[in-house]
Amino acid sequence: MSNSGKDSLSRDASLEQGRAAGEPPARANRVSKEYVGGKIVALDDVSLDIRENQVTALIGPSGCGKTTMLRLIAGLEYPTRGGVEVYGQPILGPGPERGMVFQAYTSFPWLSVLKNVEHGMKIQGLPRDARRARAEKFLKLVHLDDFADSYPVQLSGGMKQRVAIARTLAQNPQLLLLDEPFGALDAQVTWEMEEMIIEIIESENKTVILITHDIQEAIYLADRIIFFTRQPGKIKADMPMEFKGGRRFLRKEDLLSEPGYVDMEKLLYQMMREEIQGRVS
Amino acid sequence: MMAENKSESTSNTESTVPGTGTGGTLEKAPLYKPPKERFLEVRGSVGRNESLILGLAGVVAFFGIWEICHYLTPESQQKFLPSVEQVVGKIYGLIRDKGYFSDIGKSVYRIYLSFTVACLIAVPLGLLMGCFIKLRALINPTVGGLRYLPAASFVPLLLVYFGPTDFAKMALLFLGCVFFLIALILDNVLSVPKELIESAQTMGASRRHIVLKVALPAAAPQILDSMRNMIAVSWTYLVIAEIVAATDGIGAVMMRAARFLHVDIIMGGILTIGILGVLTDISFRLAARFLFPYQYARH
Ligand SMILES: Nc1ncnc2c1ncn2[C@@H]1O[C@H](COP(=O)(O)OP(=O)(O)OP(=O)(O)O)[C@@H](O)[C@H]1O
Ligand SMILES: [Mg+2]
Repeated sequence: MSNSGKDSLSRDASLEQGRAAGEPPARANRVSKEYVGGKIVALDDVSLDIRENQVTALIGPSGCGKTTMLRLIAGLEYPTRGGVEVYGQPILGPGPERGMVFQAYTSFPWLSVLKNVEHGMKIQGLPRDARRARAEKFLKLVHLDDFADSYPVQLSGGMKQRVAIARTLAQNPQLLLLDEPFGALDAQVTWEMEEMIIEIIESENKTVILITHDIQEAIYLADRIIFFTRQPGKIKADMPMEFKGGRRFLRKEDLLSEPGYVDMEKLLYQMMREEIQGRVS
Repeated sequence: MMAENKSESTSNTESTVPGTGTGGTLEKAPLYKPPKERFLEVRGSVGRNESLILGLAGVVAFFGIWEICHYLTPESQQKFLPSVEQVVGKIYGLIRDKGYFSDIGKSVYRIYLSFTVACLIAVPLGLLMGCFIKLRALINPTVGGLRYLPAASFVPLLLVYFGPTDFAKMALLFLGCVFFLIALILDNVLSVPKELIESAQTMGASRRHIVLKVALPAAAPQILDSMRNMIAVSWTYLVIAEIVAATDGIGAVMMRAARFLHVDIIMGGILTIGILGVLTDISFRLAARFLFPYQYARH
């Protein structure tokens, strides 16, 4: 026990060093990931650098390897070829500096909502009171403070997902890995959550990798959009959101009137159509 | 009939007027009457009282059929199929004159002690095998194979090793359920959603934390269910275990009765085991409600 605690500390220090040396929060170096002995190529020779304090959106047709990319960075899987690094350190497994919100529901059913949100902080050994206060803060952010004592079975799908988001944020990771975090939420809650994410990254300087199938959401949240092609997954386009000029919009509607927004949306729809038509032929 | 219907419908329309109208007393909309459910409704609903009544009806039907069979048997053969009241009377007689309670106590003690030991081995083993794939590869083929050995085939061996002791009986009960229990608990742990474990990993959880604080609580309700099912199997082994030098216990009482063709006592024994089994089942279900309140929080 004490051994592993020491390990993670020394690991943290080396991450800190890498960060000071200007290493990117995540880097994929000619990564390929094959499944079923090479019959399925989820990722094919993909290289990318994630930039610090940026929101990078991964989009692309279903099954193109977005989740796979995120799982490699989370350390839940290893590449077949190439390498993946966090702050210049090769990834040897999952770590609390890389918090993840999964595509599936992952609240612990035996814990109350509040205890769920506290869980990550508990693992990191935060004292009880600090934990409680922070959990309550994030529950409020996701509008679930009235449900602190409920169990996950009592929540709707969207509410469960908000618990997962609050839990990951409360854990305070440097790198936030979000796998279609709002996929199950209705439109109104989705944009509330999107604006919340903007608020958090503005105030806490987080690096975010976001997978989404919603083009508008990608443009709204991302500073950079990486478009993946259909299998085998490769990067089709890597587009900084230049028209935003480095600004983030706290209100989603402000983005819509921005010159350049419509062109970007149109471009992404065209790319998506190209990929889908590729499937038909 | 007709008149009644008519007056009802008119009073209905009258009562809805104030609610929809401009003023007066605001009434709630009439209670919704769901369509009548057929008895065999697919995934229909059953209320608490209803299920109690249905359950009792099943029990009454069972004893009713038994009773009918008894009276249909020719009188000369009736001692081979005693009536319900004869059997119940016999149980009462055994309790009063033969210290049947101490036999029951002995059997319950054997079942619960052997089962507890089996759980103490199976839960950690199943949990560890479910969490660590190499441990599973090491242990599972052996344990999986041992399940196919009939417990009864251990009787001679246990007699040679331990003689006609209490220990031999409990060892048989233990062997009868431990391998199945391990396999079932392994399955329970394996069916914990992988995302639960992975999300703990991305929080930086240690292996110890994942095994004890994620996999175990996540699988716990199913593990308790496996236990409930396996202790039922344990009860079915009781008589075989207590044949091993029948001295005391429900099985022993039954074996002694068999020698004198006392069918009523044998059936009394069977009935006793059945009742104890049902009580065990109920206590496991109550334990589940108590231990896993979150599963019932929805209702
Ligand atoms: N464990 C696995 N075993 C076999 N094949 C897998 C596995 N995980 C992913 N794949 C395959 O890899 C490909 C990419 O999967 P991935 O989950 O990364 O897609 P995705 O881009 O996230 O899709 P979606 O948008 O539908 O979530 C798919 O073809 C999938 O079938
Ligand atoms: Mg995916």
